[in-house]
Amino acid sequence: MKKTIFLILCYCSILIAQSVDQQNEVNLFSPPNIKKFADYLFCSHDYLRAALEYQRYLSTNHNDTVSYKTAIAYSKIGNYSKAAKLFASIDHQSHLFPDAQLEYYKALFQDEDYFGLRNDFINVDLSNQFVLSPRDKKLFYFSYLFTNDKLPSENKFLSHFEGTDFQRVKDFYSWKEAPPYKSSLVAGILSAIIPGLGKFYVNEYSDGVFAFLAAAALGYLSYTDFKAEHNFRGWVFGGLAAGFYAGNIYGSIAAAQIYNVKIQFDFVNSLKVFLNAKNYFIPEINFCR
Amino acid sequence: MKWCVIFFILVIIFSASNMFAQDALKKQFAFAKNLYASENYYDAITELKRLLFFDTYSQYTFEIYELMGKSYKMGGKFSDAILTFTDAELNAKTIQQIYQAKIEIIRANILRRTTDRALQLLDELANDKKFTSKANEINYWRGWALMFADKWDEAAKSFAKIDSCKQLQNLAEKVHKDKYSEVFSNLISHFIPGAGQIYTGNYFSGFLSLGWNVLWGYVTINSFAANRIFDGLVELNLLWLRFYNGNIQNAQNFAKEKNLIITNKALNYLQFDFYGQKP
Repeated sequence: MKKTIFLILCYCSILIAQSVDQQNEVNLFSPPNIKKFADYLFCSHDYLRAALEYQRYLSTNHNDTVSYKTAIAYSKIGNYSKAAKLFASIDHQSHLFPDAQLEYYKALFQDEDYFGLRNDFINVDLSNQFVLSPRDKKLFYFSYLFTNDKLPSENKFLSHFEGTDFQRVKDFYSWKEAPPYKSSLVAGILSAIIPGLGKFYVNEYSDGVFAFLAAAALGYLSYTDFKAEHNFRGWVFGGLAAGFYAGNIYGSIAAAQIYNVKIQFDFVNSLKVFLNAKNYFIPEINFCR
Repeated sequence: MKWCVIFFILVIIFSASNMFAQDALKKQFAFAKNLYASENYYDAITELKRLLFFDTYSQYTFEIYELMGKSYKMGGKFSDAILTFTDAELNAKTIQQIYQAKIEIIRANILRRTTDRALQLLDELANDKKFTSKANEINYWRGWALMFADKWDEAAKSFAKIDSCKQLQNLAEKVHKDKYSEVFSNLISHFIPGAGQIYTGNYFSGFLSLGWNVLWGYVTINSFAANRIFDGLVELNLLWLRFYNGNIQNAQNFAKEKNLIITNKALNYLQFDFYGQKP
């Protein structure tokens, strides 16, 4: 009899546990379930939905980790201003605060708010709220490579980088200090002296050869036609030669400008690739282990 | 006796809570269906994902993936739709569900314009003995895939195999008949400059092209005849051949443009005025 009672009790306790568990599962919109679902979305890289679910959770609960993950989700989908706002809202007492601070700078950086980033850095440094480590200062210095502001001195700039990064950052710094731009004035003058030479100056060799040949051939045709007293054809080819000549000067000036834009674009791109590879000098927290 | 009563009460509690869980999932599915019906596709997908996450016993998995795929499709996310329909196929419990999922994949491929893949899947279905009773439907979607692949004559043949598809068959035949041959347009422009443009109904452009070619041909031949070889070569390369090649290209482009207008008109009709099943 005792044994039967014991077995019934065991079975009943299992039933009760299952019932309680299922009662919790029933309300799909209870805060714990919303959080569970949001975590699932976050780990399946569905960041927009995850952010919205986390925000739904945060409307009734306070949780620094959830705020942090919401900001990460917004950052992942490119809503950097919202991410920055959320990172900034992480409490100073939270264990996530140092990471949130770095992520905040990263979000400002990605939002291309370099001035905001620098101002914030300077304010934090002056207020002595917490000590900025050399790692924290990397983004601060890196932001100068994206703007046209006066660069800090090379020693000061590079003192925050070491190891394999050092040489790479030094190259970036040198590029920024003296960008290898081509002068559009020089390109124009060169093309005025010899058609196509301006194009050679901006490394467009085939265009340069073609411009030279076209101007020379049309000029020669015009000359021979005038010489043979075919005045009409002489004027037609002369006009075409003049057009090619003027167009080539204009084209060389434009090509120099395009060249400069291109190398500037490539420079910014390589900076971004480098920063992405380094995750903006921030250690990534894996929430989905 | 007392223990038995307690035991039965607990069993009832357990069954009731289980029923509540079932009810919650059912309600959630109905909620998602409602969102889909009201064209809130993004929210519908969110709610279906929620249901999928909490449906631990996988009771709704096929239905969830199917509706999620449809939501993606309606939102224009055809690649996501295809991936989701593939999940539906993997979670199908019956042959009918497998067929349904495959057809949805084909329809999404047609809309995504990956018609080669759609046709390949249709061939697989047609060769599968499990689906021999579905021959009409397979031919129907093959017709649609061929229309989207711009193979209107083959589409007409596919629709001809179905008795109730005269309307689509006639449409496909008409489009095929109305379309201009790009090859022919290109070819006649080689022999008579401007003829390709005239063939596609662009008379002004055709005669203009003919005029330019006659003029520069005359100037070039004149130069060669007068032994002005250099002049002749320059005129031939910079003027005559330029207009001659331009005429050929132009003729082909006109044929392409005209064909695009004809096919777009037909597709427009299918989108807005055709009331049968569409991809």
